[in-house]
Amino acid sequence: MVNSNVGALATGNTSNLQETSVNSSCQRTSDLSAAVERCNASNDSERRTAFRALVECLNTEKKAGRVEELSTALRSVLTPMLDYTLVQALHRFYKLLPAEFKGRQKLKLAILGGFNTHQLRDLIEIFLFANGIQVEIYEANYGVFRQEILDPCSELYRFAPTKIFLATHWRNLGHLPSLSDGPEQVSELLEREFREWEMLWQTAHDRSGSQILQNNFDAPCWRSLGNHEARHPATITRYTAEINKLLSARAPSYVTIHDIDSLAADIGRQAWGDERFYVHAKIPCSPEYLVRYAHNVSSVIAAELGLSRKCLVLDLDNTLWGGVIGDDGIGGIRIGQGDAEGEAYLSFQRYVKALKTRGVILAICSKNNEQSAREVFEKHPDMLLRMEDISCFVANWTDKATNLRSIAKQLNIGLDTLVFVDDNPAERSIVRQLVPEVAVPEISKDPIEFIETLEKHQYFQVATLGTEDFQRTDYYRANAQRSESQGSAGGIDEFLRTLDMTAAIGPISLATLERSTQLINKSNQFNLTTRRRSVSEVMELIDAPDWVTVTASLTDRFGENGLVTVLLAHVRQDRLEIDTWLMSCRVLKRGLERLMLNYLCDLAQTRGLDHIQGEYIPTSKNELVRNHYAELGFRKTKTEANGHTTWDLPVSNYKALSNFIKRI
Amino acid sequence: MNIVRGQLQDVFRDVFSDPALVLNDGMTAEDIEGWDSITHINLIIAIEKRMGVKFATAEISRLKEDSSSVGDLVELVAGKLKSSK
Repeated sequence: MVNSNVGALATGNTSNLQETSVNSSCQRTSDLSAAVERCNASNDSERRTAFRALVECLNTEKKAGRVEELSTALRSVLTPMLDYTLVQALHRFYKLLPAEFKGRQKLKLAILGGFNTHQLRDLIEIFLFANGIQVEIYEANYGVFRQEILDPCSELYRFAPTKIFLATHWRNLGHLPSLSDGPEQVSELLEREFREWEMLWQTAHDRSGSQILQNNFDAPCWRSLGNHEARHPATITRYTAEINKLLSARAPSYVTIHDIDSLAADIGRQAWGDERFYVHAKIPCSPEYLVRYAHNVSSVIAAELGLSRKCLVLDLDNTLWGGVIGDDGIGGIRIGQGDAEGEAYLSFQRYVKALKTRGVILAICSKNNEQSAREVFEKHPDMLLRMEDISCFVANWTDKATNLRSIAKQLNIGLDTLVFVDDNPAERSIVRQLVPEVAVPEISKDPIEFIETLEKHQYFQVATLGTEDFQRTDYYRANAQRSESQGSAGGIDEFLRTLDMTAAIGPISLATLERSTQLINKSNQFNLTTRRRSVSEVMELIDAPDWVTVTASLTDRFGENGLVTVLLAHVRQDRLEIDTWLMSCRVLKRGLERLMLNYLCDLAQTRGLDHIQGEYIPTSKNELVRNHYAELGFRKTKTEANGHTTWDLPVSNYKALSNFIKRI
Repeated sequence: MNIVRGQLQDVFRDVFSDPALVLNDGMTAEDIEGWDSITHINLIIAIEKRMGVKFATAEISRLKEDSSSVGDLVELVAGKLKSSK
């Protein structure tokens, strides 16, 4: 029955599905968005009723064949706070969606389980969908992950995954010690254990080329040695802790460690490890926590694909401090030591500041008088957040939806990278409806709970962390200053000259590998082909004689921009074919692409090549570079129906393009 | 018993996404579309959470048997609710 619905929705052949029930209480899309908002704003006791109404609306959409509305609604209500039964119900609607409504970014995921992954798989699928990822999943039978990896003819390799999730738990450890083993024997076992996992990763990676997501090991919820368990070298708890340390310290860059042990601890090991479901169905934890489990896994995968959120936008009154600055004045608001509520806001500020330190951009969006709002940051002695922490400060009386759009524009990032935290439910509700791209978590009236809520959502999930992440706020603030001087200086050439830019340009090296890969997987706007690659794939290209890799870092008088561009090109016959060209948006319109093309032409001439070929593959985000090759003097040689264009530049009489960047 | 059956019916409707589903005591897994070993676990979780009861390992097995009916489930849950009062 389900299958026939899928067919009908996908082909538009919906004659029997289009009869909307006359009695249905939910017939229009506006009802649907109201139902979605009711769910999003519901508290625990209202949630079930709200969802029942939503399911009714979703059924109406399904019957009418309105798949786009169905898909948008599903995406907007999915959060890790939902209970297992609700997410399962949403998954049944998700299954009806035709592939093109499941997400823009494609992923082929193999799930190799050391336990039964059936339920987990569905939940991972729907949370990836919530992140805009269209995933095709191969799920191996439970318990055969070693065979799948070691047999070169296995289904795993036939499936050709782009990512492999090794969903294992402590029962899959191969060398648990016995209590009589001494420290040296345990060390040997640990080493053997690690090497066996390492060998599996290596084999899977060599054969499939895919990035691997490996669970660490959640310790069981019992301790035979009680309090002494953690000190004795041969206990299971100690052994899992030690092996987890080895995974963190020694896993190669093509392996991402998924920290399931932390999740188990967050939830509480006793509640997490409900063994009834292991003995019945080989489910590794109490099934209700599979929702958080799957959400966690999906957030890590999304982060690796560059889909984490980037910017935290904060309201002020009763969000960063207690009280209303306009009414209570700088002496009356509650922030700082000595008052419990003031300390609660302070600890939230400390959390926010820690996020900023590791690269999350901070912005303020508040209905306030700008002067008095700024004054708190500048003058209040107990504030932890200061003006220099904030990349974009908006305090005025304009509606917040408009302000959020303008914040995204000023920071030159997508609306879908913003998270908006506001204590006012009405503001949250209106933002969710007017700018659905922005994530707006429901937060409690009590500031002490803000951190927990943000933690659960994992909006800013980290795949890897580079030194550049620490300097991000500086980049964005310097950028705002540059925009200002752009206004004041005469022409654009004059502006570029006064920037005193220097660039280091050259092939990707081991030192720049990680940052280059990060850019390859994150850049959307200045990205000609949007081809994503893993660290190991890029590493292969560095060594390949028929590939050219180029990267550059740019410095100007405002500071270092770091490594900002990557170009990958393939030598084929007499041509150098540009496979990938992308640039960080913070250095747009500086002429760096002109310098790079000069560099590339030199390279092509040295290698005796006659042509450089360029390609543009349109996506919803890279309109910016549609005319990139035309602007650089390429000639269009081919246009395909989907807008995909191919371009050619003869190298022989190429004249170096002028620019204002000095090569160092 | 009727109250318990009504509450269980609500749970079944959510678990099987079928707002029109009507439970009666004679029903077995065969009579409800989609009631397999996987949805059985989903059902157990949902009932435990909604009704505030906890099934023993062996009870979960018993409810999984082909001969087990909705009536057996109603009785089991009603018994648990009664003894917890």
